Amino acid sequence: MKADRLRRFIDLHAWAGMVSGLLLFVAFFAGAINVFHHELHHWQDRPAENATVLDADTFLERLTERFPQAAERLYFQPGNDPAAMWKQDGEWQTARVSHFGGDDGYLSRPGSELADFINELHYQLAIPGGAGLLNIGMILMGLVAALYGVALFSGLVIHWPKLGRELLALKHQGNLRRYWKNLHNLIGVVSLPFHLIMAITGAAMGLFTVVALLLGALVFGPQLQEVISKKTDVWPAMTTSGEPVTMALMADYLSAAEHEVPGLQVAWVEVRGFGDSDGWLDVAGTVPGYLGHHAHVVLDPTLKPLRVISPAQRDLNNASLSVVYALHFGDYGGLAVKLMYFLLGLLGCLLFVSGNILWCERRSDRAGPSRASALLLRLTLGVCVGVVAGVAVSFWVSKLGLYSPWADQVVWLERLVFWLVLVPLAGWSLRASPLRFCGQGLRVLPWLYLLIPVLSLVLDGARAWRDPDVLLINGVMLSLAGLLWLVRKHFRRRVRLAEPHPLWVGRVSDGHPIHKADAELES
Amino acid sequence: MRLWPAALLSLPLSVMLSGLLAAALPVPWASWLVLMLLLVVTLWMLLVALAALPQRGWPALAGLLAANGVALLLLQTTTLYGGGP
Repeated sequence: MKADRLRRFIDLHAWAGMVSGLLLFVAFFAGAINVFHHELHHWQDRPAENATVLDADTFLERLTERFPQAAERLYFQPGNDPAAMWKQDGEWQTARVSHFGGDDGYLSRPGSELADFINELHYQLAIPGGAGLLNIGMILMGLVAALYGVALFSGLVIHWPKLGRELLALKHQGNLRRYWKNLHNLIGVVSLPFHLIMAITGAAMGLFTVVALLLGALVFGPQLQEVISKKTDVWPAMTTSGEPVTMALMADYLSAAEHEVPGLQVAWVEVRGFGDSDGWLDVAGTVPGYLGHHAHVVLDPTLKPLRVISPAQRDLNNASLSVVYALHFGDYGGLAVKLMYFLLGLLGCLLFVSGNILWCERRSDRAGPSRASALLLRLTLGVCVGVVAGVAVSFWVSKLGLYSPWADQVVWLERLVFWLVLVPLAGWSLRASPLRFCGQGLRVLPWLYLLIPVLSLVLDGARAWRDPDVLLINGVMLSLAGLLWLVRKHFRRRVRLAEPHPLWVGRVSDGHPIHKADAELES
Repeated sequence: MRLWPAALLSLPLSVMLSGLLAAALPVPWASWLVLMLLLVVTLWMLLVALAALPQRGWPALAGLLAANGVALLLLQTTTLYGGGP
């Protein structure tokens, strides 16, 4: 490839990566934890002290009697302490079997929504207003994912001729920038398929509304909306007939679904029109052994199958939708694949940080000291340290809050503390010397994550290791602490071995090169 | 920076090119809607990358604008708009 064309590819790669890098860091860090979304839901709950155990059917009857809006549409989740979710006056509510006492009493217990917060941070940066069709945060993330795709494509063109060499090129060579570059290339090459999957599926999910609007306006006309509903809804939304019907037992619905799809592992049941003759139930779950493992069995209240969507019988739309979800969320291969996604997600974070650092140093070397590159370097460090610290503190508040007098406020407190940590840290990073900020941040971060399993151990007692989901999340947090400690160790070694780039020391407004203070050298 | 105008002009073009492919293929377009969505975003990424590459920006952007017009005209010759799945 000609040198000037290669340079333009490098510029495009740098610009697209730099514009999207910081937001991608947030999405990837939250996404790596979100791989364990289901387990995190269990981790965040305070175990029920209520010994009364209702069966699923009595639970649903009492729930719909107490909250008639739940009868219109609810999601039932089987398990040790079965739960139901429904929309009450426009807000999603969750109730568990343990919320109901032996008599007709309903005890609303405060709960944490940490898993949902991490999920929102992942797909919409926790920007409020996610209920409607035009979800600003989600569209923004879709655009960022598209830019990320552009950066990947240009990166692929740049590195394709030397892929093999770069796989083994992580050497220090006495040059810190060379080290960052080698690290960036190595991670990019090793995890390229993962990043291609994330860029395409992330952009498709985030920009679904925008693309559907454009397809409708430019290509297919107003009919498109109806066609999309028809092709992607498992069964049409119902209108209440007003004719009551006696519901079968939940266990019978589940076994009817398992009869239709052998090997089905039920995840949840959507109930439309509970107790209405026109109602229906969608028993949804997975069939292990398939990449597109999602399955749905739609039943009427009398157990008659209305529709079956399974890996063995489904149309192209449902098959590709299932594969897209599975590839994005990494839930198709059990714990091993989930752990792989977790590690690849964290490596992705390192990819974005190293990419931004490379851009800043390269620009500073080529064009001389610049306020823009100094600011971007500081902002990159501030946002990264702030997000990692903020998430850890949200975990603390989620766990501690439920055992405190402010248990009712945990839902908003765990969100608030994230921003209360992130914003001042980002602000501080703009003023502090990057080398010192990074050194101090990395000194504290492993301890923040180490404290999470300790808190769980102290507050949850034996549940911290006996409940497999709680144990897994505690293990994930412990491994995060270990990985952050490794990054810290590596960072310190690099600082000892090679002189930092002038951008890493001094103030933004100082001249170039900048002389390092002794204290900074030590840190 | 020509990345933004390139992104803005490439999105409708990738949507219309996918529409033209839907018109050309002998299968009902409604049967592969999800794949079409993936195709649109992949095509968009590639078009942005290609449009942002040339040394001078305006010929690429003018080319994108013209391609949008041509794709829109070609779409008028199909029965996709309001024509049923």
